[in-house]
Amino acid sequence: MVLLLLAGVIVGLVVIDLRNSRLDKRPDNPYEYSVDQFKSVDPALIRYEETIDFTFGDLDLRGIAFANNRLYLVEDFYLVIVSPEGKKLVKTELPESPICVTASSKGIFIGYKNHISQYTTDGMLVKNWEPLNDSAVITSLALADSLLFAADAGNRKVLKYRTDGTFSGSFNGKRDSADLHGFIIPSPYFELAVNPYGELWVVNPGMHAFENYSFDGTLREYWDKTGMTIDAFSGCCNPAQMAVMPDGSFVTAEKGMVRIKIHKASGELESVVAPAEMFGGGTYAPDLAVSPSGDIYALDYEKKMIRVFQLIKTK
Amino acid sequence: MKRKTFINNSGRLILMGGLVYLTGSIILKRKVSASGKYVWQIDPFKCTQCGRCATQCVRDLSAVKCVHAYQLCGYCDLCGGYFKPNTHKLNTGAESQLCPTGALKRKYVEEPFFEYTIDEKLCNACGKCVKGCGSFGNGSLHLQIRHNLCQNCNECSIARLCPSNAISRVPIEAAYQIKGDFKKPVITAPK
Amino acid sequence: MKWIKIILFLMPFMMAFSGLQAQQRFPKPEFHNNYVQPTPTTPEPRGVGMEFMDVLVLLVVLSLTSWFAIKKRSRNGILLLTVFSAIYFGFYRNGCICSIGSIQNVALAFADPKYVISLYALLFFLIPLIFSLFFGRVFCGAACPLGAIQDLFIYKPITIPAWLRKTLGFIPYLYLGLAVLYAATGTEFIICRYDPFIGIYRMNGPHLMIYLGIAFLLMGLFVARPYCRFFCPYGAILNVFSRFSRRHLSVYQTKCIQCKLCTTACPFEAIDFPDEDKSKPDNRSNTRKFILYLGLIPLMMVAGAWIGSKSDVFLSRAHPDVYLAELLVSHPELKSDSKNIDIQTFLASGKSLDTLVAEAQVIRDKFHTGSWILGAFLGLVIGLMAINQVIFRRKDEYQANKGTCVSCARCLDYCPV
Repeated sequence: MVLLLLAGVIVGLVVIDLRNSRLDKRPDNPYEYSVDQFKSVDPALIRYEETIDFTFGDLDLRGIAFANNRLYLVEDFYLVIVSPEGKKLVKTELPESPICVTASSKGIFIGYKNHISQYTTDGMLVKNWEPLNDSAVITSLALADSLLFAADAGNRKVLKYRTDGTFSGSFNGKRDSADLHGFIIPSPYFELAVNPYGELWVVNPGMHAFENYSFDGTLREYWDKTGMTIDAFSGCCNPAQMAVMPDGSFVTAEKGMVRIKIHKASGELESVVAPAEMFGGGTYAPDLAVSPSGDIYALDYEKKMIRVFQLIKTK
Repeated sequence: MKRKTFINNSGRLILMGGLVYLTGSIILKRKVSASGKYVWQIDPFKCTQCGRCATQCVRDLSAVKCVHAYQLCGYCDLCGGYFKPNTHKLNTGAESQLCPTGALKRKYVEEPFFEYTIDEKLCNACGKCVKGCGSFGNGSLHLQIRHNLCQNCNECSIARLCPSNAISRVPIEAAYQIKGDFKKPVITAPK
Repeated sequence: MKWIKIILFLMPFMMAFSGLQAQQRFPKPEFHNNYVQPTPTTPEPRGVGMEFMDVLVLLVVLSLTSWFAIKKRSRNGILLLTVFSAIYFGFYRNGCICSIGSIQNVALAFADPKYVISLYALLFFLIPLIFSLFFGRVFCGAACPLGAIQDLFIYKPITIPAWLRKTLGFIPYLYLGLAVLYAATGTEFIICRYDPFIGIYRMNGPHLMIYLGIAFLLMGLFVARPYCRFFCPYGAILNVFSRFSRRHLSVYQTKCIQCKLCTTACPFEAIDFPDEDKSKPDNRSNTRKFILYLGLIPLMMVAGAWIGSKSDVFLSRAHPDVYLAELLVSHPELKSDSKNIDIQTFLASGKSLDTLVAEAQVIRDKFHTGSWILGAFLGLVIGLMAINQVIFRRKDEYQANKGTCVSCARCLDYCPV
């Protein structure tokens, strides 16, 4: 009779195994590490809403800039000039894959891996500037009157050019004092911008810091915020993208936990433009551009579209 | 007796014929791999860190281990895969570590870079560090099946339960899919 | 030396692989001291050539078993080979890959255009079958690791009544059919999942598997070879093949003297008894019965096919995609269940429910075809088992049953002739 019991045990074990492996009866993950708490944001902080989206098909978009009441897009092998309503005006072919773009009334400047090209505001090539060394990676460009600053992530330097293409100098942010460490750039995200007051601000992504330099590379002031809460920057290198708002505050986009925020020039969090829930599972920070009226254009690489965020109009 | 041997022989012939047909049809469709052995592989881009690699492997300590793609690592002080979120002190204290077994080791290289390595004897493939690294960092930590430990079962128990079907059977020449294996020239824009 | 060549052939791939890995994505952080960035390691698995060594060992063991069973007639030899198989195929190779599981690989290779079977898996499937066509179930006798461990655990075997044996004898065919169905549709390998002894050989495994193994071994103390006789799907195939074997283990060497000593030796009731009724059978009524049962076979097949086709939905639920699709369609509220990993992963994957349902439908269709074939096959099996009871074969001696004898050679030492 023991044998019958054993037979019953065998059958029972098989049945239990079959039932336990059903999709709705599987055990939970004992090692669950939920980062959802960092994704949700207090709604009172969100002061922007997504108003329009522009899609341009499945092209690999690379960079965006807003100037002269035009949107300048660089994508794999094309420069596209778009009206703010989304109408394509000009399309110029590019010789290699671009990385970043900036523009002003003086013209359009496109950054490739190790050289910069200058175009007219209508998209005609003016000239290709002197190439840099092999380890250079230009990730951001900013114009200040007749000067163009380029962020070289590969060499960890900020390069200064005159708008006619002549190289004017560079600086690498290293300091003698013990609490500054130069530009720490673990991945190819290195941003800079010139704010409406003519100040050059450089993001030091490895230190989660915003540093204000004079045009010849002297550090004037800086602030940094490291942490995983909404008002700080986490990960190895954040913010990955940055642009300046008309009032001098910074709109930032982070990678890893993708979100767009606005920080005051002094560093405090001002508001959240788009919390992490608004972005898909990917980890690329959208490239940013700001119109003079304060509309934020975000180049979403995952969804391959430009998402426009505007201040929520209080009723 | 003759009838019996006749039935015996014809039965044998029919069964042999059946085997030949089966083998022939499989070989003719070129579905037989003579040189290759097939092994199981995790696609790190599909993995969702569900924790089943730790609990479902037939071995007590899973044959899956976390692997570090050093070329992708940022060597950050505040490592998203090492530290629990909201830790105040960035040190090697156990209370601030994500890793439940202490397999992820942090070593100071020079200011401000830290090297993170995995002790495979301790790693249980829970995926917490992978989740943290992917959420807050570069995603250089990822889970891979280690073939010196894997039994290479006919049907991988983890593969059966993987929610994103990230584990598949691959030829031994492509056994590992380690992140950072870039075959195309570097275009550093995102993608 | 083939395996050395294979490893040397693979070396450039491995080195090229690691060379590619050294390429930087982006200039690494500037290290001022002489820090050397390590590279991730890729430890190698057991060499490919060793798999063919296993095939060689299998061939040698099978040949030796055949020789010991038929020519040399030595129980000791077979016992030694049994122990060797338990150690080599069992503890050393951890029981995987085994011939029983290879049924699934072959079924999947036959049905799925994308699946590539490795040569040695195919060989593990074919070689014991070919041997069985010539020498009987010698694989079961000494080569199969699962059989080996059961054989070594026989302590006080009890006699199972014939009607129970025959009824339970249907289970291996059911198991075989289900295993082939589930393997061919790509659902899962159920033989591997419910293999009781591999957990013991590995000395490692999920709890349920170990308990199953212990239960089978305990059973095996009293019911000789429970898995072999009443569950093993490969055993079902070998049973059929072995009946047509050219040569088979024979209890006696010269002539049976009806001493019945062999029947006490055999723990598996695999020895056929001679007829008690020596009178000539009534040919007419027997022929009528035979034709009746013969006519019943197609009926059984149709009935089986009908039952099979009706159960296709039930059987298809074992496939995870089908189950998930059914679950989400019938319980849409589960979409908000944040604790269920599978549902959440599916929802996050971006695949629409319609695509999933369409895929599940394709699998269901495969199951539909497979289920009625399975049903017909099982109907055929039942019909043939029934007809076996009716066919009259004159037996006037004690001899090993060609189908169920596993060539363990225990009877040989007992037989005085």
